[in-house]
Amino acid sequence: MMRSRISENESLRKAFRDAYAAKEREETGEEWQFQVMKRVRRIGPLTPASNFLPAFEHFVWRLAPVSCLLVLVLTFFFVNMEPDVDSDYLGTMAAEMEKPTLVELFGLEG
Amino acid sequence: MQNDAVRSSDEEIVRQVLDGNVNAFESILTRYKVQVLKIVKKHVPNDAVEETTQEAFVRTYQSLPTFKGTGDFSQWLSSIAVRTCYDYWRKAYRSREVPMSALTEKHPHWLEQVISEASEESRDELGAQREAREILSWALGKLSAKNRMVLELVYLEGLSVQEAAELLGWSKANVKVRSFRARMKLEKLLRIVKEQGRRP
Repeated sequence: MMRSRISENESLRKAFRDAYAAKEREETGEEWQFQVMKRVRRIGPLTPASNFLPAFEHFVWRLAPVSCLLVLVLTFFFVNMEPDVDSDYLGTMAAEMEKPTLVELFGLEG
Repeated sequence: MQNDAVRSSDEEIVRQVLDGNVNAFESILTRYKVQVLKIVKKHVPNDAVEETTQEAFVRTYQSLPTFKGTGDFSQWLSSIAVRTCYDYWRKAYRSREVPMSALTEKHPHWLEQVISEASEESRDELGAQREAREILSWALGKLSAKNRMVLELVYLEGLSVQEAAELLGWSKANVKVRSFRARMKLEKLLRIVKEQGRRP
């Protein structure tokens, strides 16, 4: 036979509920109210919560798939890109490796 | 209609506080002190009531910028009070010490008597007895902060899972699981008390 649960006994539950509810009638002082206002004044005026961050967060998640796609496309593009020496500034520097001085590069000579 | 008026004036006070009028918070304190005290008195020991209530109101003040005027201010405040009590027990649980000697031989006797009692009048008399509070206090002291809070809200206050979940800020599934576990632990503890009375 299954044992009946003590905690489900209605008389006991009512006794516990009454005892628990009786705690509500215990007396307290008034001093804490002054302490609350003292602490509140010490904290000072509040800064209204900014709506920017939650909105921004929402925006970020919406753009996440687009960002991922963009990263993939750019990766593919850079991997397959051949450097154009004529238009590349670094290319110019490589060609002039014999005299790689800042003075020559910026045309400050003579 | 009257509720709408009260709610809109709550919102008005909140707006004043957010506009920098710190002293306007005193109106919230005066209006809701009884409600918050009622909650705190039920959840924490008498010697910690004032400090916990104070903490609940300071947290309310600090959280005002996050209050969305669409909801019920009173409900929002209650959930802050309940969570402050939960935090009290989280801290207290680490340094807890509830010896079995807190209970005497009269407690198992009282428990047996209540369980076997059937009449309504006797129930009322027994409910008023100190033993109920002492056994309950001992058993709750053995529970973790989570189990304790959920047991108090669901088993002792009779709140629904949904209501307890809203107050604690937990999911309904979490409250259901916790509630079941807490009831099982209470059952185990009550059996210990009962067995104690049968020992020679």
